[in-house]
Amino acid sequence: MKQQLEQIRATAQLAIENAKSVQEIEELRVKYLGKKGELTAILKQMGGLSAEERPVIGQLANEVRGSIEAAIAEQGEKMKKAALNEKLQKETLDITMPSKTTKQGGLHPINIVLNDLIDIFQSMGFDVVDGPEVETDYYNFEALNVPADHPARDMQDTFFLNENTILRSQTSAAQIRTMEQRKPPIKMVCPGRVFRADEVDATHSPVFHQMEGLVVDKGITMCDLKGVLEQFAKEIYGEDTKVKFRPSFFPFTEPSVEVDVSCSECGGKGCRVCKGSGWIEILGAGMVHPNVLRRCGIDPEVYSGFAFGIGIDRLAITRYKISDIRLLFENDVRFLEQF
Amino acid sequence: MKISLNQLKTYVDIDVPVEELCDKMVMAGFEVESIDNLADTMKNVVAAKILKITPHENSDHLQICQMDIGESEPLQIVTGADNIFEGAIVPAALHNSLLPNGMEIKKGKLRGVESNGMLCSGEELCLKDYDYPGAEVYGILILKDDVAVGTDMRDVLGLDDYIIDFKITANRPDCNCVLGVAKEIGVVLKKEFHPPVPTYKTCGGDINDYVSVEVRNFDICPRYISRAVKNLRIKESPDWMKKALKASGMRPINNIVDITNFVMLETGQPMHAFDRRDLKDSKIIVRNAADGEKLTTLDEKEHTLSSSMLVIADADNPTGLAGIMGGLNSEIKEDTTELVFECAKFRRDSIRKTARALGVRTESSGRYERGIDINNTAFAMERALQLIDELDAGDIIDGVIDLNQGLPEDRIITTTVSDITALLGVDVPSDTVVEILNRLCLPTTLDGDKLTVTVPSIRDDIEGRADLAEEVMRIYGYDHIVGTTMRGAVTRGRKLDSRIKDDLIKATLSSAGCREITTYSFIASKAIDTLSLSENDERRTAIKLLNPLGDEYSTLRTQLATSMLTVLATNANRKNSEVRLFEISKRFVPKALPLTEQPLELGTLAIGAYGSEEDFFTMKGLVEQVLDTAGINYTFERSGEPYLHPGRQASALVEGQEIATFGEVHPTTAATYGIDCRCYLAEIKLDLLYSFDKEPIIYQPLPKFPAVLRDFALLCDISLPIGDMEKAIKSAAGKICEKVKLFDVYIGSQIPEGKKSVAFSVSLRSLEGTLSDEQIEAATKKIIKSLDSIGAQLR
Repeated sequence: MKQQLEQIRATAQLAIENAKSVQEIEELRVKYLGKKGELTAILKQMGGLSAEERPVIGQLANEVRGSIEAAIAEQGEKMKKAALNEKLQKETLDITMPSKTTKQGGLHPINIVLNDLIDIFQSMGFDVVDGPEVETDYYNFEALNVPADHPARDMQDTFFLNENTILRSQTSAAQIRTMEQRKPPIKMVCPGRVFRADEVDATHSPVFHQMEGLVVDKGITMCDLKGVLEQFAKEIYGEDTKVKFRPSFFPFTEPSVEVDVSCSECGGKGCRVCKGSGWIEILGAGMVHPNVLRRCGIDPEVYSGFAFGIGIDRLAITRYKISDIRLLFENDVRFLEQF
Repeated sequence: MKISLNQLKTYVDIDVPVEELCDKMVMAGFEVESIDNLADTMKNVVAAKILKITPHENSDHLQICQMDIGESEPLQIVTGADNIFEGAIVPAALHNSLLPNGMEIKKGKLRGVESNGMLCSGEELCLKDYDYPGAEVYGILILKDDVAVGTDMRDVLGLDDYIIDFKITANRPDCNCVLGVAKEIGVVLKKEFHPPVPTYKTCGGDINDYVSVEVRNFDICPRYISRAVKNLRIKESPDWMKKALKASGMRPINNIVDITNFVMLETGQPMHAFDRRDLKDSKIIVRNAADGEKLTTLDEKEHTLSSSMLVIADADNPTGLAGIMGGLNSEIKEDTTELVFECAKFRRDSIRKTARALGVRTESSGRYERGIDINNTAFAMERALQLIDELDAGDIIDGVIDLNQGLPEDRIITTTVSDITALLGVDVPSDTVVEILNRLCLPTTLDGDKLTVTVPSIRDDIEGRADLAEEVMRIYGYDHIVGTTMRGAVTRGRKLDSRIKDDLIKATLSSAGCREITTYSFIASKAIDTLSLSENDERRTAIKLLNPLGDEYSTLRTQLATSMLTVLATNANRKNSEVRLFEISKRFVPKALPLTEQPLELGTLAIGAYGSEEDFFTMKGLVEQVLDTAGINYTFERSGEPYLHPGRQASALVEGQEIATFGEVHPTTAATYGIDCRCYLAEIKLDLLYSFDKEPIIYQPLPKFPAVLRDFALLCDISLPIGDMEKAIKSAAGKICEKVKLFDVYIGSQIPEGKKSVAFSVSLRSLEGTLSDEQIEAATKKIIKSLDSIGAQLR
């Protein structure tokens, strides 16, 4: 009987290992372990054994049953895995086919650049304010130290709506509105559209964008102006960027400077982008003119400040190497999708 | 202003290369627009002698010349000109030469005969008669006999100068002249400046016997100086004067006219010379014009004047437009024998207004508009007389008429060195401050920290310490300014609420596949008509620009739809297939027309799209996404925009106010823009959207009890809105109605004509407990009944 049991164990093991399907395994289970199975049949003969033999054979029989069950379970698991693998194999996709997501849109390049500027100045503690695009002569010119018929008005051609109302030619108008509304300390930037009667060509647009900056507080110096602009230039053009002041003239700042940055293209060695000079002119700035402060009710003997104006379109054009400013306003999606 | 370097060198010792000079001037506030080396304009052109002329066998107009160019062998050049002769000395452009008109000459064959260059005409060398006699003759330029063969033509013509174009800023009218720039160069290079010191001899007589002057408007003409010259000897000016005039872009005419122009360029003070014969009663009257009075100026244009304009007149008529241009009637002519010089100061705003009104802009008016120094006027007159004497152009009558009501004295500004350095943030040493100001001809003394600065009238631009700080710094050097971190209170940078909200919408739309566009704020005056709006639609009330760049950009937009349609059309015409765009900008709504105050500038969003993926509902989805950023409740209604498809448009309402309109663009409107596919448009009033407060967010507990789903398959008229059915379901089921979801709409076979099949899935749930079968049954019945009452029957 012992031999018979060992025999069953061996043949069952072999049969299970060779089984090819779940069904075949089920059949083997019935064959060996079922009510009419071979193992059961042997156990039924146990009654004929002696009292000494019975527990020994009984234990062996249980062992054999256990090992057959384990083999069946193991083989079943193997089969399931194989079946799953086969299924997954069949589900293989061509991963080079196009995705199903909604195509991502995006911002206009001018606003990408503008948002960068806003982030930089906001992180330096500047408020971001707005001003009207339709301005009065007073805010756009007179309060900025440009009286009527002053030659400085020839510096820009202005669109008029009536004698006294214009489309703002510079975001500088926002300086006055800010200083009228707030007391120092003032730290603000005002981005927005500006308008000049320039005929449309590759480098001129009657509508473009500027960002004005203004700081008014006690003890503000020209070195502070340079410090802020250096910080800005490094963020925009890279850590190694240098800033240079050149004397210039704006009616509402004194002293006034043009601000150049070292050319990021050639690192200041001179190239086509900077026309060989190693420097690129990026903005105008200066110390707020005492007349302007006084007009806004701020005592220039107590307070000083600086202002600057950045041309955003030009920044976008140089950053992305855009050849023609008209592309910015034409809005061909093949252009827009590049940003 | 363009200035000859050679002329500058006559007033100040310039011992650095021109590039270095220009770099230094730029850093002192004088931007250099260009440096032209006259020697660069012409290369390899020499004076050559024609030894022999033979006819060309294959041409009846070409001739073959053997040329002596100063070398051992003669050179053969073929020419087509017929004014040449053997022995003539002419300019010859040799192989690889450059002419001032940009032409490059190489050797070659002309009809089979070798030609080693080209003989040049005056025109080809860009010469006028005043540059070289005979230069305007048709044919080859015949040079003077004494020109040595082989001489470089640049030496023959004196092309050994640099022309520097300085950009003079509006605050420095005193540098709109050669002497002003020379003075600054002296300061920058630390060299002495030698302005001319006028001396001349007179011939006796008395000016009052020649002319009488009356100024009737001292307000506009605060100073008027006259001098007289007789026995005029009108001839060509000397070379040096012609060169200086040409360098600055003026045409030499004759010695008298040239002197007035030269003095203006040199001193910045415009001058005029009248032919005394033409001054009726020998009178000069400075007065306002009579309304409608006429004057023909030197350029032979007739102007009709108004009473705000100042003229120089004789006893009867205007003889000149004050400060702008002389009259044709009194100009200096070949046979003029006696002249009266004018040197005057006119108020800049008056000249500016007149020049603009008449559309005349001259070197003179430009200088008056920017402002001239009243104290410089006498110097300029003296200088002109010195040149009359030096050029032997006439005999100067004694006496001067100088009418003015007092001349300004030097101003004194007191400040401190520490106030100046406090503004700069740079410790410029006191003695350096004093030294720089003195070099700038601003006599300055220092007492402790206190500065006393004398400012002459020519430096009108210097008002106070900020101006002095700039003067010091531009000479001391801006490279001394070192960036610092600002002191003072730490501030938090804030954005305006509207900008934060705009940014949120932009991010939302970007994620939804929209590209942002930027368009002009002004549109064509007729653009609004493309929307077929009714006559009284408020969007027709738009502000016009007084001076637009043409009609295309003449009107401030009251809506963004037309700009968006234009951009959609641009893209459609270029066959861009899938397009989804948006723009956030302002619409301009006047409070009254004509404008009495600034208009409202209202934030507006436009969305535009076309392509195979787009339909009314994708646009509706975008509008919902935008409105959802505001966290408000809204409803949709059919709308009636004439530029949208009558059956495919809607508006969104918040508290009864229309906040957005959207839909498919009317095919007629689309066709007006040349768009031949279905396209979609939305316009959202952001100003209104932002005016509503966001509903506060309060946490709702998650449901504890299960939901029950019931599906309803319905049959109804095609025209019955889905929204009405949803409403019917919601109101019937009451507060246990958690969600109504449309999952099928079918029109077609197996459905009666004019009907549609609609299927909803309704989710019912109570927050208080598990719904009982009875509750569900009751709700279902109510829903069916309610649907039935609006014409939707259960299938």
